[in-house]
Amino acid sequence: MPQIPSTDDPQTTFRYPLRWRIMDALNYGLDRFWPARMSPYTGWALIMPALLLVGILVLGLFEMADSSLHTLDRAIFRPSEAYTLENYQAVMESATYGRVVMRSVFAAGLTVFFTLLLALPYAYIMVRTTRSAVRKALLVTLFLPFFIGQVVRAYGLLIILGTNGVANNALGLVGIEPIRLLFNFPAVVFGLVQYMLPFAVLMLAPALTAIPRETETAASSLGANWLQSFRHIVLPMAKPGLIGAGLVVGTLSLTDFAMPAMLGGGSQDFIANAIYDQFFRTADQGLGAALALLLVVLGSVIVGVVIALFGAGTLGMGSKK
Amino acid sequence: MTVQIAAKADATQAAREVAVRASHVSMDFGSGALAVDDASFELEKGRFLTILGPSGSGKTTLLRMIAGFQKQTAGEITINGKAVDAAPPHRRSVGMVFQKLALFPHMTAAENVAFPLKMRRFNPRQIAGRVDQFLDLVKLGGYGDRRINELSGGQQQRVAIARALVFEPDLLLLDEPLAALDVKLREEMQLEFRRIQHELGVTTINVTHDQREALVVSDNVIVMDGGRIQQQADPVALYRAPANPFVAGFLGLSSFVEGTATADGNLKVGDLVVQGTAARRFETGAPVVAAIRAEQIRLAGTREALAACDMTLEGRVCDTIFEGERQMYVVEIGALCGATFRVYHHDPDSFGLFRVGDPVALGWNRRDLKIFSPAA
Ligand SMILES: Nc1ncnc2c1ncn2[C@@H]1O[C@H](COP(=O)(O)OP(=O)(O)OP(=O)(O)O)[C@@H](O)[C@H]1O
Ligand SMILES: [Mg+2]
Repeated sequence: MPQIPSTDDPQTTFRYPLRWRIMDALNYGLDRFWPARMSPYTGWALIMPALLLVGILVLGLFEMADSSLHTLDRAIFRPSEAYTLENYQAVMESATYGRVVMRSVFAAGLTVFFTLLLALPYAYIMVRTTRSAVRKALLVTLFLPFFIGQVVRAYGLLIILGTNGVANNALGLVGIEPIRLLFNFPAVVFGLVQYMLPFAVLMLAPALTAIPRETETAASSLGANWLQSFRHIVLPMAKPGLIGAGLVVGTLSLTDFAMPAMLGGGSQDFIANAIYDQFFRTADQGLGAALALLLVVLGSVIVGVVIALFGAGTLGMGSKK
Repeated sequence: MTVQIAAKADATQAAREVAVRASHVSMDFGSGALAVDDASFELEKGRFLTILGPSGSGKTTLLRMIAGFQKQTAGEITINGKAVDAAPPHRRSVGMVFQKLALFPHMTAAENVAFPLKMRRFNPRQIAGRVDQFLDLVKLGGYGDRRINELSGGQQQRVAIARALVFEPDLLLLDEPLAALDVKLREEMQLEFRRIQHELGVTTINVTHDQREALVVSDNVIVMDGGRIQQQADPVALYRAPANPFVAGFLGLSSFVEGTATADGNLKVGDLVVQGTAARRFETGAPVVAAIRAEQIRLAGTREALAACDMTLEGRVCDTIFEGERQMYVVEIGALCGATFRVYHHDPDSFGLFRVGDPVALGWNRRDLKIFSPAA
C-alpha cells in the first residue's frame, strides 16, 4: 500500500507540484465564473467570438448593399440621396464588366483544374512514400512559399518570366527568340496555380492519408494495374478532399487581386481589380459596392451548387449527403 | 462403394501436385533478427494450410512474400512451378483476404465482388451472374446492393471472401481475417471457410495465432516462432506429437518439468525417475525437459485410485480455476522439487471436489509424457 502523504503532518509537509496547484486554481475560478448549471450554453459561449466576427462581416455587407443602391452624383461627387438600381444596371449593361466576370470565372476554373492536376500526385507521393527524407523534402518545399507571401512571389515571377528573365534566357539557349510571357491571361493563370498549389496539397493530404495502403494493395491483388487502381479506388475515395480543395482554390482564385494586377499588367483584370478601381481610383463607391456584392453572390452560388451536387459530407462535415 | 474409392484415389492423385513451394526463404528487414528465417515447405493442390504462431513470429511477412507484395531476401517461392515475382502483382492469380478486409467503401457489396472480374476483362454479360453465384456461396444472396458500411462485421468478412474467390485464383491467402470478430462469429466463420474451401477445392493458406482455428480448419499446420518453422504436420499429429517444447506449449495446455536424461530414456528429477517417452535418444545426464498435457493427467484423492496409470505421484492443490466446461487444478509435486502441474477435470459432478491445500494424487501414462531437449 503506497502511503498518501498527509498535508497537515508537520514533518513531511507535502506540497502538490506547482502545475497541479495552478490547474486546481484555474478549475476553481472557472467553476465560480461558469457554474455547472450553465453547461448547456457552453457550446454557444465557445462559438460566440466566431459569430461576432461573421456578424461584423454581415454588417459590412449590409453597408455595401446600401451604398450600392446610390449612384455617384458627379456634380458634387457625393452619393445620391435616392435609392436606385442604376449601379447594377450599369454593371449588367457594360461589356467590359461582362468580360471581367467571364475572365475571373474562367481563370478560376482553369486554376482549379491545373492545381488539382498537379497537387494530387504531389500529395499522393508525399503521403505514400516510405522514405522519410522524401516526405520531409516535399513538406519543406510545400511550406516555403507560405513564408514569402503572394506579392513577393508574383514579383519573383515577374523577374523569372520577364523578357530578360530566366525563362527567356533558357529559351535563348536552345535558339528561341525571346517571347512575351508576361501580362497575358496564361501568365495570370500560371501565377494563380503556382500560388494555390500548397493550399490544394495541404487539403488533399489528409484525404489521401485516410485511404489505407492496404486498399490499394488489395486492388492490385484483384487485378488492377496502378492506373486502374488510381482511377477506381484512389480517385473516388479522395473525392471529398478533391472537392474541398477545388472549392478553396476556386473561391480564392475567383476573388484574387494580386496575380491579375501584377502578372496581368492591367490588361487582365479580375472582379477584385475592378472593385479596387471603383473604390480607390474613380472613387465611385456605389459601383464598387455593386460589383463586390455581385462577386459575393457569384461565389456563393458556385459553392452552393457544388455542395448541392456532392453533399456537405464531402467537405468533411459528418452527415452523408 | 467402388466409385467412392475411385474418387478418393483420384483426389489423392490430384493432391500430389504441389501448388506452393517455399525453399529456404528468409526475410531480413535489417533490424537484427530475421523476420523469416530459412523457411521451407510444400503445399499440395487443393489443401488448406494454416500458418500458426504468436505475434511477431513472421506469419504476415511469410504470407506477403507468398502473395508477392514483398520480396524475400533469400530463397525462392513458386506457385504452380512459377516464381511468384515472375509477373507483376495484378497479373498473378492469388486471391487475398486482408486482416482489415480492405473492402472498397465507395462500392456496394456486388460492385466489390465484381471488381476483380472487371479488372480481368471478363465478359460484362457474365459478370452479374457470377457475382450473384459467389454472393450465394458466402450466403449473402440479396445483399448485393448494400454499401459496405451497411453490412455487419461477419457480412463484410463474407464479401471479402467472395471478392477474393470470384476470379477463381490458383491460391487463396487469408491474413488473420477473423481476428477482429467475436468468438461465436469467429467459430462460425471458421466452419464457413472450411465449407467454401471444400466446395471450391481452392488451395488455401491461412494465417492465425488462434490454435483452435488452426486445428479446426486446416489439413496441414505450420507452427512458427521467431521467424522459424517449428513444425509442419496435420492437426492431429501436431497435437499428438509436438516436435519441441515450443509446439507442446503453444498448442493446448502443457506442464513442463526439467531434469536430466537417464540411460533407459526416462527423466530424472532430483532422485526421482519419471517415466516418459522421447522421440530420440539422449546422452545419459544430458539436460532435458518433459511436457505433459493437462487432459492427460488423472487426478484422484489417493494413489490407490489411480492404479491404472504407469506413474503416480502425490501432491497438493495450490490453485483451482473453474472454466465452465471443466475445472483446472494446479498441483504442486513435492517429490519433483516443487514442479507444478496443470490438470483438467471434466466431470461436472466432481467440480469443486478438491480445495486449495488438499493432498491429491496425480497419475499418467508413460507415452503421454514427452521428453525433449530443452528449447534453444
Ligand atoms: N516492414 C517492416 N520493417 C521492419 N520490420 C518488420 C516489418 N514488417 C515486420 N517486421 C518485423 O518482422 C517480424 C515479424 O513480423 P510479422 O508482421 O510477420 O509478424 P506476425 O507473425 O504477422 O505477427 P502478428 O500476429 O502480430 O500479426 C516482427 O518482429 C516485425 O517487427
Ligand atoms: Mg500479422
